[in-house]
Amino acid sequence: MGVTQAMSRIDPIPVTVITEPGRLLALDAETALLRLPANSGHGHEDGAQCIACAARTDVRALLYDLLESAKRGMRPPFTKVVVDASAVPDQSVVIAALTGKLPAQALRDHTVARLFYLAGAA
Amino acid sequence: MSQHDEAHIPDWNEVRAALAKAASERILILDGAMGTMLQRRKFTEENFRGERFKDWKLPLQGNNDLLVLTEPKAVEDIHFEYYMAGADIAETNTFSATSVAQADYACESAVYDINYQGVVVARRAALRAEAADGRRRFVAGALGPTNKTSSMSTDVSSPGFRSITFDELVVAYGEALRGLIDGGADLLLFETITDTLNTKAGIFAAQRLFEERGIDVPIMISGTITDLSGRTLSGQTPTAFWYSVRHANPFTIGLNCALGADLMRDHIAELSGVADTLICAYPNAGLPNEFGGYDETPESMASQLETFASEGLLNIVGGCCGSTPDHIRAIAGVVSKYQPRVVPKIERMLRLAGLEAFTLTPEIPFVNVGERTNVTGSARFRKLITAGDYTAALDVARDQVANGAQIIDINMDEGLIDSKQVMIDFLNLLAAEPDIAKVPLMIDSSKWEVIEAGLKCVQGKALVNSISMKEGEEAFLKSARLVRAYGAAVVVMAFDEQGQADTLERKVEICTRAYKLLTEVVGFPPEDIVFDPNVFAVATGIEEHNGYGVAFIEATKIITETLPHVHISGGISNLSFSFRGNEPVREAMHAVFLYYAIQNGMDMGIVNAGQLAVYESIDPELRDACEDVILNRTPDGTDRLLALAERYRGTAGKEATAKDLSWREKSVEDRIAHALVNGITEYIDADTDEARQKFARPLHVIEGPLMAGMSIVGDLFGSGKMFLPQVVKSARVMKQAVALLLPYMEAEKNADGNATGRQSAGKVLMATVKGDVHDIGKNIVGVVLSCNNYEIIDLGVMVPTAKILQTARDENVDIIGLSGLITPSLDEMVHVAAEMEREGFDIPLLIGGATTSRVHTAVKIHPRYERGQAVHVNDASRAVGVVGNLLSKDTKVSFIADIRAEYAKAAAAHERAESEKKRVPLALARANAFKPDWSSYVPPKPSFLGTKVFADADLEQLAAYIDWTPFFQTWELKGRYPAILEDERQGEAARQLFDDAQAMLKQIIAEKWFVPRAVVGFWPANGVGDDIRLFKDEGRAEELATLFTLRQQLSKRDGKPHMALADFVAPTGTPDYIGAFVVTAGIEEVAISERFERANDDYSSILVKALADRFAEAFAEQMHERVRKEFWGYAADETFAPEDLIAESYRGIRPAPGYPAQPDHTEKTTLFRLLDAEKNAGVTLTESYAMWPGSSVSGLYFSHPESYYFGVAKVERDQVVDYAERKNMPVAEVERWLGPILNYIPGPAIVAAE
Repeated sequence: MGVTQAMSRIDPIPVTVITEPGRLLALDAETALLRLPANSGHGHEDGAQCIACAARTDVRALLYDLLESAKRGMRPPFTKVVVDASAVPDQSVVIAALTGKLPAQALRDHTVARLFYLAGAA
Repeated sequence: MSQHDEAHIPDWNEVRAALAKAASERILILDGAMGTMLQRRKFTEENFRGERFKDWKLPLQGNNDLLVLTEPKAVEDIHFEYYMAGADIAETNTFSATSVAQADYACESAVYDINYQGVVVARRAALRAEAADGRRRFVAGALGPTNKTSSMSTDVSSPGFRSITFDELVVAYGEALRGLIDGGADLLLFETITDTLNTKAGIFAAQRLFEERGIDVPIMISGTITDLSGRTLSGQTPTAFWYSVRHANPFTIGLNCALGADLMRDHIAELSGVADTLICAYPNAGLPNEFGGYDETPESMASQLETFASEGLLNIVGGCCGSTPDHIRAIAGVVSKYQPRVVPKIERMLRLAGLEAFTLTPEIPFVNVGERTNVTGSARFRKLITAGDYTAALDVARDQVANGAQIIDINMDEGLIDSKQVMIDFLNLLAAEPDIAKVPLMIDSSKWEVIEAGLKCVQGKALVNSISMKEGEEAFLKSARLVRAYGAAVVVMAFDEQGQADTLERKVEICTRAYKLLTEVVGFPPEDIVFDPNVFAVATGIEEHNGYGVAFIEATKIITETLPHVHISGGISNLSFSFRGNEPVREAMHAVFLYYAIQNGMDMGIVNAGQLAVYESIDPELRDACEDVILNRTPDGTDRLLALAERYRGTAGKEATAKDLSWREKSVEDRIAHALVNGITEYIDADTDEARQKFARPLHVIEGPLMAGMSIVGDLFGSGKMFLPQVVKSARVMKQAVALLLPYMEAEKNADGNATGRQSAGKVLMATVKGDVHDIGKNIVGVVLSCNNYEIIDLGVMVPTAKILQTARDENVDIIGLSGLITPSLDEMVHVAAEMEREGFDIPLLIGGATTSRVHTAVKIHPRYERGQAVHVNDASRAVGVVGNLLSKDTKVSFIADIRAEYAKAAAAHERAESEKKRVPLALARANAFKPDWSSYVPPKPSFLGTKVFADADLEQLAAYIDWTPFFQTWELKGRYPAILEDERQGEAARQLFDDAQAMLKQIIAEKWFVPRAVVGFWPANGVGDDIRLFKDEGRAEELATLFTLRQQLSKRDGKPHMALADFVAPTGTPDYIGAFVVTAGIEEVAISERFERANDDYSSILVKALADRFAEAFAEQMHERVRKEFWGYAADETFAPEDLIAESYRGIRPAPGYPAQPDHTEKTTLFRLLDAEKNAGVTLTESYAMWPGSSVSGLYFSHPESYYFGVAKVERDQVVDYAERKNMPVAEVERWLGPILNYIPGPAIVAAE
């Protein structure tokens, strides 16, 4: 039931972003680790993204997937998230997404905005 | 404005017909990505600008759509490449050609030209391709999602904000549509839909344009799903998305983009099941593989899509981002060998959508429309709204949904507020709350402008409440048309120019008139109409009001009976208006009214989902008085209720306490039942604890009083005396009780565990299937199983197949349990079973839930999962035993064998019942005969022709071939060998019998009691119609005999052939053969058994007969094996152990006349004559064609690899007459021998009078 409580609007989940490769944070059982891929691997030649690519690289989409997984019991519940963004070329996008500065593209972005907050970067 | 090239304007009706025809014949091909191809040409800023935009103020590179104006030849060539790669339809290069998206480049003024020229350029390519190969090509005008969204805010801190409105989108789409239509597009394609509301605006614009011009252009609609949740970007499930756009009557619905076919499959499968139109899928090329790389070869994409085609999911297929003409060529190549998906017929039911779909199925007795978000119905909500406290107002909505409201009513009709603006603001805020927005909305206002404003804010399919003929037909028709254009369903009030209908006659007359106008003039789907025949207050003291309740109930009955598919709703609270402030009486009146109205067809109502009395629990005196008033049974009903009401007024609390006391005095079992039925949690802990001390084990409390109480709840719900929210409350009580018991059960388990050192007995994955939320039964089963030391992994409700299977794999579970309560869940379970088969699972699959059944499991689920076993378990008490058996090494095999036998019986009984109804004429059955591909098949030739006798069988060797299960059945011991020996009930008897049999067997072998004999023969043969002609020699000139066979005439659903044994033999021209045999354990059996009889040893007499039978069967089995390996030799390498032979997994069959595949016993005559069986084996036929001695087996040998044992089942007179003529036997005689399988009563045919 921990997750349900954590998902109420009173208790948003803190997200810590790792920006440098090799930087380690102590992870406990309550912490979920999310590694952002450098790119979607999708074959757009000029580096452009389609909305499908975005879902694969967007921190909000991936946090939403994390919630979905926990909600369905497919991963342990968590109360904290560490996002490893060290492979991402432009980390300011990740920070903007987590601080509500990146325009929402999907309903999930609203959900993520309510349930997570940026606790810090390392 | 630039010069336009001349457009080719199609006749859209002709286009629609041509496309429909082509789509019925094959899977059509859509093109691939344009962007990918354009990028390869490395156009520079100058290329993008061309002449026209030479001096443009902004950089234009990247504005791909502009290239139709500035590099038209390049775009045309790409279209041409796709057409020549196999595409039937190309999409114009106009994805971003709306004023909204072009604003990024300040190119709004070019929008019309881009769309127009986009079509012209594609058309040129189409004409070139048609000229090249003569095949027709189509041009689809593409409309992207725009880069703004009308149903969501781009600013997460301001969820009510919208960067674009519905009206603005209608204008933007309208402009693009005019360009595409003037350019002559054959179809219009709304694609990569990220926001359903945007698309609804596009549909609205298109329909308005169609109406204006009197045209009807086929529309394709394609959404996009990108994440794990399986939702569109605006949060809808695929089914909800389809329901929301279905009013466009689109030519196709489907999905595109996404990361690849893999991720799209489940969603396409879902759409395929719910959409009664063509399915179009075009995923991206580029599938992430396990190693982090990407497989994107044309072949890999094509093979992914091939599975879609092979599963019958596709009508149109193509590629999105990353795909190239090579991909399209590969896709076109692989899908060409598959039939297109068959468009299913979807039953007419009210289908609404929020973020999730809601279907008003016949299983739902009544829909609660939540009324708490109605300012006229709720004082609290009105206060919150007038105070502008939207956060608290949203909580009210959230509570209603949590309390079980399936639809929520939103009404802002309050004189002091700007109803229209508040409706817009509230709906926009609500859209960002997934736990509220999941249900469909009822947009409720007496003002049309408020309703219309509301409709422009909802992406789902809403219900409008309400429209009426109050202002005459014209206004009514106008608003009805608009409701339809916005894609909503509608509540129609029984209100006309003269006023509200109060009598039965007026209610029926007005609703009938409205129905005709809606269905005949507007073309409104009748299932989308909900009539509100007006609930008025009764017991007001005014005599003419006394009949209002009855009038409503009777009108409901007539309307639902005479106006097909409509629904009935009403605002219930009006009824008890005169008892305001007296909640106990009001609740009782509402419950009584609903009880009768629902019985008569009312299926929807605006009620407070959290507050409804249970009909059964109303104080009988009060209930009677309410019934008198509502049903107008006595003239003094009102007075009596008023008098009685005084007792409840203001003393409601005390009355309740008094009532409490009375039930508190009952036994603990009764108290628990009462608490469950009434959803009272107050005393449940104490009662449960008391019960725990009373019963031996905590588990017994669950299995006893708690389950008993829940079963009462189930009965009341099923009979319409309880409603969903109440059941939810009951479940809450149940959960609380179970929670109290859990630590005790845990302790018990630990104690057990320590004592015996036992590990978990097995891992059980439980899930309520996708689309279903009912989990009470599943949870109970989960609880009971966990009490029995199983580890439960509960995935909860609405679990997609992929999740179930992935978890099953990851967790390495031993068994999967699926639950569901609603009918569609049945199909979902079939889907899960099929997916388990496809993915190679073999663990058992448990099926449970109210609508599941043994027959459904046997007929629909079990056959789809052959690797494993599906088992129907409908009660928790049985679950433990079933799971135990399935997970035990000792019992699993026999348990599954029993289940399979049981299911085979159930399926056969079902098929019989089904098939008894319908028979196919013989001519049709013949036309649908089993037709193997003889051209590529060379029938094997036997090693000898004519007959061969075998008289040297080794009894000891034969004993190894004995199938013991039928031996026990002979003795009426039912069960599989060897498990039967350990059977709890029959085990001892079985062991004793088996010991005796073994002793006798030893004797038989040692003393050579039997001398088994066999004769086997082979002849050149060919199938001729339904018969098999045998020839004297390979010259095949001289006929030796004809074996007549009967053909199935049962009506077959899935296109399976109508079998006859003759179908397994190649027709004239292909040399084929047939074999036959007679084996016997030996004539000695007769004498030996007689000897025992004489010695009054009946036991041994029967035993020796039974063993002789086994020897005959074993001999037949052994001979068949030799036939396959040596004599016919088509399976020389076969290496089956005798046990496997019993399971009949080899090639070829040996059916006997008189058995299901050829029920005519008289055919044995021919067989015996061919083999000269009497002389060669010592077996004769009795006058009723039984073999003597009894321990004999005969039959025909068929070698065709696809031959199998089927049942002819019942046949019609036409076949019997035909068969009699072929056999040259009187019809009456054939009828005598085929008596049990005649599907008619023999006698003179009844000829219809002229």
